[in-house]
Amino acid sequence: MTSELVDFTLVSVALLGIGIYGLAVKRNFIRMLFAVEIIINAANLNIVAFGRFLPHSGGQTMALFSIAIAAAEVAVGLSLIIVAYRMYQNVDIADFRSLKG
Amino acid sequence: MLEITSTPLVLIAILGTVGILLPIISIARKEQGSNSFYAVIAFAALIVSMGYVGYQFYEENIASSALFSEDVIVDDAFGGFFAIAMLIVAIFTTVGSFNYMRKHNSPAVYYSLILLATIGMVLVAYSTDLIMLFVAWELMSIPTYILVGYMKKNPSSNEAALKYFLFGALSSAIIVYGISISYGLTGSTNIGEVIQGYSTLDPSMLPLALLSVGMFIAGFGFKMGLVPFHQWLPDTYEGAPPTITALLAAATKKAGFAATIRIVVLGMVVLNLDWTLALGIIAVMTMTIGNVAAIMQKNISRMLAYSSIAHAGYILIGLAVAPHSSLGLQGSLYQIMNHAVMKGAAFIAITGIVTTLAVTHIDKLQGLGRRMPITALGLVIALFALAGIPPLSGFWSKLMLFGSALDASSALWWAPWLAIAGVLNSALSLAYYGWITRKMYFEGETEKRVAEPKSIIAVMIFSSIFLIGFGVYPEPLIKFVEFATPVISLGLMP
Repeated sequence: MTSELVDFTLVSVALLGIGIYGLAVKRNFIRMLFAVEIIINAANLNIVAFGRFLPHSGGQTMALFSIAIAAAEVAVGLSLIIVAYRMYQNVDIADFRSLKG
Repeated sequence: MLEITSTPLVLIAILGTVGILLPIISIARKEQGSNSFYAVIAFAALIVSMGYVGYQFYEENIASSALFSEDVIVDDAFGGFFAIAMLIVAIFTTVGSFNYMRKHNSPAVYYSLILLATIGMVLVAYSTDLIMLFVAWELMSIPTYILVGYMKKNPSSNEAALKYFLFGALSSAIIVYGISISYGLTGSTNIGEVIQGYSTLDPSMLPLALLSVGMFIAGFGFKMGLVPFHQWLPDTYEGAPPTITALLAAATKKAGFAATIRIVVLGMVVLNLDWTLALGIIAVMTMTIGNVAAIMQKNISRMLAYSSIAHAGYILIGLAVAPHSSLGLQGSLYQIMNHAVMKGAAFIAITGIVTTLAVTHIDKLQGLGRRMPITALGLVIALFALAGIPPLSGFWSKLMLFGSALDASSALWWAPWLAIAGVLNSALSLAYYGWITRKMYFEGETEKRVAEPKSIIAVMIFSSIFLIGFGVYPEPLIKFVEFATPVISLGLMP
């Protein structure tokens, strides 16, 4: 039973690593958004896995809230990207440089 | 169980109902304009909420700061304190938008989003459960992403929103990961039980507990603008509509501090670890980098954005020394309240300047003292209060913060250096605040006076009375801060 938990956690840590890699390397806004989503889902996997070994349903509740909120967040993010695409015909964040210090 | 008349529930009811009704009214009236109609409704809702919080304090229905509760939210003085600070900023934003939004369309959605974001911020301060905290955090963040990008035709507004969104989404992902680790370690999402669980943790699990606290600091630090996580902040503050910048700088930043005090500071006390040094180093770096970068700016919004980073550093001094000095958290809360009014007023003054003159470059501000005398005076008072000039309210909170650093010197050998760094940074910040003042009053020659928006004048008068009044007679505010500050000491257990 405990070894199963370790498996879930390892997958979750791997997903976290993939997400951080994506954020650090990619310069396409949609890919970066995917990377953030991967991190959120890694955390959800963690929460559900821990919740399975606990005698109450708090973990599952948390995961449901987190999934719903992540969906709302992605909706806002994609709408911002659509507005940006209309202006620049591009979603590469290297091209967004009207603000510089 | 919470009473149905408890402050957070009533605030949700008032602001939520009005916030959801505003777009519905706008659809039913089949028209886009009449900005002032929606502004008045939103303003009334915020004033009623403010009045309710004040009434609850006056009737002494609010318990002193509890910090832990079996429920998901608790009706305590700590939350009430933050609710007042955030409602003041939301009122500033609404009143400031009165003129600013006249030129832009769909005002109903704009005010509705401000109200919904305000509920989120208030609930962050009230929540005592990690699930509730996360939901409130997102309720605060998601409307502000849209508000920052509200000027759809403006490329810099959109770019500001994209940057803010990316870092905001990353911060909430990190917070969820931190919650997942703490849930796995302690089997609970209640903050009190999590901290209790941490105090009885198997020593081999300690690195994981540290990792979760570190993730909380990183996640909240993105919103607070602490130094390794501050890159988005100047761009977003510069590109966003200035009214929304006021909301971000003065209110969402404070929600980050409320969450940090609820979780990290108490976790730090219980884990009995040397987080104080890490927070102290972050505080000094945040202050210094913020102030040094602010000196080099040419755009006034960007300069105040860096000054806002620097102020996060001052507030963090109090959190860093909190386990060793009772003044630490008091100073932080005091500075939070003052900073909300000062930064809110400063950005609303910029809103007035942008609305009437459409300039943000500092060289173009010359002669502002003659062109817009009341706005310029309000801005100068807010800037001097930010610098901590004695007769103004900002002085007392800085004094309390630096005093707490000296107070903690018996336990922490490096604590006095925090006070020294703070004083040096205040002196440095006076350089650029003074530069703006010189531009406004002592340069330029024959500018004519222009009509100032009345709503901006109202905000300037309120903020000036607040800053000068509580600067000359600070006792009521200090009493309130003392009442709202949670008492923590090294032996405290939930």
